Amino acid sequence: MTSSPALFHPRNLSEALDLLATTADARPLSGGASLVAMMNAGLVAPAALVSLTRIPELCGIRVSAAGDIAIGAATRHNEIAGDGRLSGTAAVLADAAAQIAGTAVRNMGTIGGAMAHADPALDFPSALVAVEATVEIASSAGRRLVPIREFFVDWYTTVLAPSEIVAAVHIHKPKHGVGIYLKHARVAGDFAIVSVAVTLARDGEVHVAIGGCGPSPLASAEADRILSSDLSRSASSRAGDLLAALANPVDDVRGTAKYRKVLIPRMLARALHDAVAASRSAA
Amino acid sequence: MGTDVNKPFQGEVGRPVPQLEAQEKVCGSAQFIADLYRPNMLYGAVLQSPHAHARILKYDLSQALAIAGVRAIVTGDDLQENWRMGAFIKDEHALAKGKVRYVGEAIAAVAADTEAIARKAAAAIIVTYQELPAALSPEEALLSDAAIIHEAAREYVKVFDTGTKANLCSRTSFREGDIDQGWRDSDRVFEARYQTQAQAHVSLEPCGALAEMDANGRVTLWSANQSVFRVQANVSESLGMPMSRLRCLTPRIGAGFGNKMEPHIQPITVLLAMKAKRPVKLILSREQDFEMVRARHPFNIRVKTGVKCDGTLIAREVEALLDCGAFGDDSPGVLGYALLMSCGPYRFPHAYCHGRLAYTNKMRFGAFRGFGVPQMTFAIETQLDEIADALNLDPIEFRLKNLKREGDRWLGGQTIASNGLAECLDKVRKASGWNGARRRSDDAESRRAFGVACSAHISGLLSTGAIIRLLEDGTVLLNTGSVDIGQGSNTILSQICAEALRIPLDRVGIASPDTDGSPYNWGTTASRVTYMTGTSVVGAAAEVERKIKDHAAEILECAPADLELIPGGLVAIKGIPHRHVSFAAISGRAHWAAGGPIIGSHSWVFDQKTVDPKRASVTGLPFSQIGAFVFNATVVDVEIDETTGKCRVNRAWSACDVGRAINPQMVEGQIEGAFVQGLGYALFEEIVWNGAQIANPTLMDYKIPTFVEAPSELYSIIVESNDPTGPYGAKSVGEIGINSVAAAITNAVNTGLGVRLRRLPLTPERVLQAMIGPEQNQETALSK
Amino acid sequence: MSERATIVLNVNGAAFDTSAVAYDTLLTVIRDQLFLTGTKRGCNQGVCGACTVLSDSRPVRSCLSLALDCEDKRIDTIEGLCDHPLMQALQRSFIAGGAFQCGFCTPGMLVAAFALLMNNRRPSEADIRRTLSGNLCRCTGYKKIIEAVLGAAHALQDGDRRE
Repeated sequence: MTSSPALFHPRNLSEALDLLATTADARPLSGGASLVAMMNAGLVAPAALVSLTRIPELCGIRVSAAGDIAIGAATRHNEIAGDGRLSGTAAVLADAAAQIAGTAVRNMGTIGGAMAHADPALDFPSALVAVEATVEIASSAGRRLVPIREFFVDWYTTVLAPSEIVAAVHIHKPKHGVGIYLKHARVAGDFAIVSVAVTLARDGEVHVAIGGCGPSPLASAEADRILSSDLSRSASSRAGDLLAALANPVDDVRGTAKYRKVLIPRMLARALHDAVAASRSAA
Repeated sequence: MGTDVNKPFQGEVGRPVPQLEAQEKVCGSAQFIADLYRPNMLYGAVLQSPHAHARILKYDLSQALAIAGVRAIVTGDDLQENWRMGAFIKDEHALAKGKVRYVGEAIAAVAADTEAIARKAAAAIIVTYQELPAALSPEEALLSDAAIIHEAAREYVKVFDTGTKANLCSRTSFREGDIDQGWRDSDRVFEARYQTQAQAHVSLEPCGALAEMDANGRVTLWSANQSVFRVQANVSESLGMPMSRLRCLTPRIGAGFGNKMEPHIQPITVLLAMKAKRPVKLILSREQDFEMVRARHPFNIRVKTGVKCDGTLIAREVEALLDCGAFGDDSPGVLGYALLMSCGPYRFPHAYCHGRLAYTNKMRFGAFRGFGVPQMTFAIETQLDEIADALNLDPIEFRLKNLKREGDRWLGGQTIASNGLAECLDKVRKASGWNGARRRSDDAESRRAFGVACSAHISGLLSTGAIIRLLEDGTVLLNTGSVDIGQGSNTILSQICAEALRIPLDRVGIASPDTDGSPYNWGTTASRVTYMTGTSVVGAAAEVERKIKDHAAEILECAPADLELIPGGLVAIKGIPHRHVSFAAISGRAHWAAGGPIIGSHSWVFDQKTVDPKRASVTGLPFSQIGAFVFNATVVDVEIDETTGKCRVNRAWSACDVGRAINPQMVEGQIEGAFVQGLGYALFEEIVWNGAQIANPTLMDYKIPTFVEAPSELYSIIVESNDPTGPYGAKSVGEIGINSVAAAITNAVNTGLGVRLRRLPLTPERVLQAMIGPEQNQETALSK
Repeated sequence: MSERATIVLNVNGAAFDTSAVAYDTLLTVIRDQLFLTGTKRGCNQGVCGACTVLSDSRPVRSCLSLALDCEDKRIDTIEGLCDHPLMQALQRSFIAGGAFQCGFCTPGMLVAAFALLMNNRRPSEADIRRTLSGNLCRCTGYKKIIEAVLGAAHALQDGDRRE
């Protein structure tokens, strides 16, 4: 390597964070699935890259004695898709991960990279909202925790300040039950037109989040309340209409805003139907 | 044509042999254009226009030239005004000159040491424009106050009577019978408008070229192409260069589907190589391939059909308006051909089919598998189902009742020499279980329905040739100008050659298309190579056989008429096989003792007239002789998701009358590939414009079918009608498999939902809207 | 960002000295410097799959991999895998079954199919469709590719049984 490499390979997290804080126009490089695609298209040209995927602390899924789950930001989608410990309501994350793009991209892309990119059509955001995750953000100044509902701010925008990275995603011990990610896309591997992430705990607690319908995942405490006490078709309809009214989608080549709004209650009904069926067969 | 179509195959024809290039393709050693390197080579990049319609006032190349590693820059200033190319109308320069006519058009190009430097320098070229009003639809372009896109259109060389005027590029009209009488004779009349979208080819290989000029000024040009001769003509015309100074060659081609039939960046690459005086390789990015080359024409069609209550078709009127895009390219041909096919393979005593083609400030539209027929078939075949429904007739019975048969004459007057369509319909009906099937069913999550459609196509057009040389050792070298774009024509033509000379396939070598050495072949398009070039191969082989027999007669001391070829490269006295002489011995004699090297050749132009003026009145037809007819019937079993409107083709049966299958496995491959490409066209593929700009020029945003969307069961059924004019009875299969697909799927969806969808693609959104809400923009049927 | 670094890439079991700047992808380096042109550039966005190679035995998009980020990986391209009996079984099956036409998607398709069979010797048709869905083909309509992968799996099972 020359004396001033353009791509840094820090051996631990604090080295990585120092590099990000002190190097002009440096960007973190995780799986590369989003960043390199943008570089190839000439959309970004960072002056330096700090590679994160070899930092042990950032890789892998850890389950504490209490059953709480921590997913390192540099954990690949295929690892998340295949980890049996993401069970019960946390299975929604594995289900979402399994439907991202194709096999090769799932071998490369990471959850932290996807979250930092913050494309609302991505699959993780709504699944993370449905499990009420907490995001651990790291910088050379220290760590902070942000509830997932506050992490995504706008189109392609998160609360990450320059030099901050996602270090991990935390999920409380998952409840017994099911978690389903229903994705409607034009073809396999495409971005979602609309996605519905549902968790249905055995005790009846329901969380729903909708993807693809606005700058950040759409969820409503009121919709969750309705469904947590009643899973009838009329309850699903009320919750769906409520969510549709809150939605703020845009027109794009995959579908119009109007279509997306129409889809929300229909897909919610279908996702709940699938979740109930899954919980019956799991029981 | 010299082959006995009833003789069983004894050699290579009819065998499903793997393609000749198989080994290199599975090992990764096949060399496509991007895989070629020349010593001292530079890399090219293109600058594209940001405006839809603007005069070019000034180029400032100073910043670009100042970048280290930049070796040459070319612009319209390097071209003369009268250096124009075009298949039907010579209206296009190599690079925009004087004005730009669509967003994305190439306006300048750079040759540099690396591709990255070339792209950076291209972006540093500063162009000053004066924007002009743009016409973004044919309707807009045909308004009397529309800005004129080709101001010098009067001066352009045109190869037929186009009727060009203002932004009207061409117009075509067919009349047969008496259309007004036809409406009077009809019991019921149906009329509606249909709309189809622009589809992108998305060959996996983007367009590219590599050009090199030698010290004598002769240029060698490799490129991804479907015709070395069209490349040669287009580059010569657009750079004012004699054809004899340009040699065009062919690497392996990563598919074309029409995208590579006419020029892409070949003229630009040659221009760069000549200016830089070094070889230049220019490969388009995927985005540029979407934005700069060509796409399938969107169609706007009005179809009116008159019918008797018993289902007899009486009259057909079609009015089509096509978007040409900024340059003519193959568009006049697409209009003319689509109208020629607009009565479908049915008997109509009265027809009036006419259309117009309008220039617009969008990327040119051009050849794409089907050449206007998928669009037209969508309209006419869905209307036929509507009629069947109204008359309470089974859709297949209705079609069978009205089918043209062998010996009938097509719209215009050409006689149909072979017609297997009835057999195609019968076979898909049986295979799908159509008669007994519950052709429409609902459950909680989805609705299912069957749909059927028929179509026709041609194999033929223009000219081709073949040369067969008997090499010194008795093996054979076949040289045709036909480009194998992956469909397997090298293999097919070699099989035909081997069959004709009764030698094993591995004794036939096939030359790569090279304008220096290959006989002219118009191109790999119009499903023509098996039929046209195959016929020439048979003809050339016949001449070789004659010459071989002349030699053998001297050697064996008999008359040539007493001789026959026997398998293995031998000539023997008929009935006395042990009295034979080998090709090798004969070739030795020819080379060293008597007569000279044995060469057989054949060339021809398809010569059956499309129009019989006693029968039909036709204006503005861009071609006077077209080809032999091929046919298809397709049945699909479609499932419609109740939640989202997304449609899935679960099962499909596609029967194609290909004349004769020279290589059945390759025929299946064409039918299957065409079906899935048609599936994408039917359900979700669409180039979308945001104003003047293509909104989805990437594979993230423009989607083609994946493994998951392909049908769970796809059955290709080969029907052989043994055309008396084709080599061993063969016609074609390249395009026929796509024509009926969108219509069959739409017929299924219409049946499943009880609606009439008249616009492609059937996106989930459009289908859901039809399911839950009133239809919009549908003209109601007019009935009597 | 344009500083050129010399790196050693481990490709097909051999070490190669190559040079790259930060924005050079693995695809560009293996093609333009190592002349391993079997791996193709179809979109440069990671969608088409024509650039698929193995990185530590897992299929990845070489167009989305930065060369400078690959020094510690073992990269296998189609050229290197040609000696592997499983790949040879796939190649024989592809050839016999007509599972390619233009051949541009074929190297990436074979690498992806190779990885599939390495992980799962008895794939169902659904497994094949799902796992290979990230490799696009415009020519074949996919049917013969599915049949060829199943054919190779059966041939390998027969071979295993015989051993």
